[in-house]
Amino acid sequence: MLNKQLEFLVALHDLDMMLKDIEDVKALGFEAEGIENLREAREELIKKIRKPLLSTYNKLQGRYKRSIVPVKDDVCLGCFMRIPTQLITRGRSDQDVILCEGCGRILYWYD
Amino acid sequence: MRVVWSKHSAKKPREAENMEVGDLIKYFGEDLFIPNLRAKNKDAVLVEFANLFVESKIVRKKDLILELMQKRETLGSTGIGSGVAIPHGRTTATLEVKIAFGKSEKGIDFEAVDKKPVFLFFVVLAPPHDENNRYLPILGKLVEVLNESKNRKKLLKVESFEEFIQVFEGIE
Repeated sequence: MLNKQLEFLVALHDLDMMLKDIEDVKALGFEAEGIENLREAREELIKKIRKPLLSTYNKLQGRYKRSIVPVKDDVCLGCFMRIPTQLITRGRSDQDVILCEGCGRILYWYD
Repeated sequence: MRVVWSKHSAKKPREAENMEVGDLIKYFGEDLFIPNLRAKNKDAVLVEFANLFVESKIVRKKDLILELMQKRETLGSTGIGSGVAIPHGRTTATLEVKIAFGKSEKGIDFEAVDKKPVFLFFVVLAPPHDENNRYLPILGKLVEVLNESKNRKKLLKVESFEEFIQVFEGIE
């Protein structure tokens, strides 16, 4: 089962991208007038995330284009560093929110 | 509001100009094809597609993409009119760009911009930053293709994935 805090962070990341994409999507002709709905949803989501994690997320958002990155074949797709074995075990079990030791980004395992 | 790229309306998006219809085909999949949706309402459509993406192993966590699609609909309906909806989103929960297709025989109230039922659904999922940045061009090209009445009519008749691909191969 996916760690709830990680799930909230991924949802926040997705929501932030949706907010960034609004103008592009509108330019394609899609309806996108409910920006306030998304902002409210974001506020609600933020309340569920532990403060230190949220702080980490915000710092990473300021530093990188994406603060949460996938892990594929045990490699962080943010900095392409191989993840140490002990972190792989913890990450795959979804018990913790794991940060890459190379770039500091939040890691998300796909399998 | 209906999406129409005519001489009277918005300019055709530049992104769509750089993509051929044939380029869309690689993003479809037989495992992402539903010839007859079971869902009878908007919420159920999104759930049906979320389940499909999980069963196809495109994502492993249903709730994440279901929430993504639901939130997108609060921004404004992705039902663009003329019986078409294109729910879409970029999510960390997927590694690759994929398009699922579903058809409803009776049509579904999707709160489309023209208030009419939706028969054709294309659900586009993409990672946050895919290698070739294809997300917006794909959306643009889909809109362009589905804006053509003759294309919609052909798609309404497809019963198999093979027929579906043939329609796209035949679009100029």
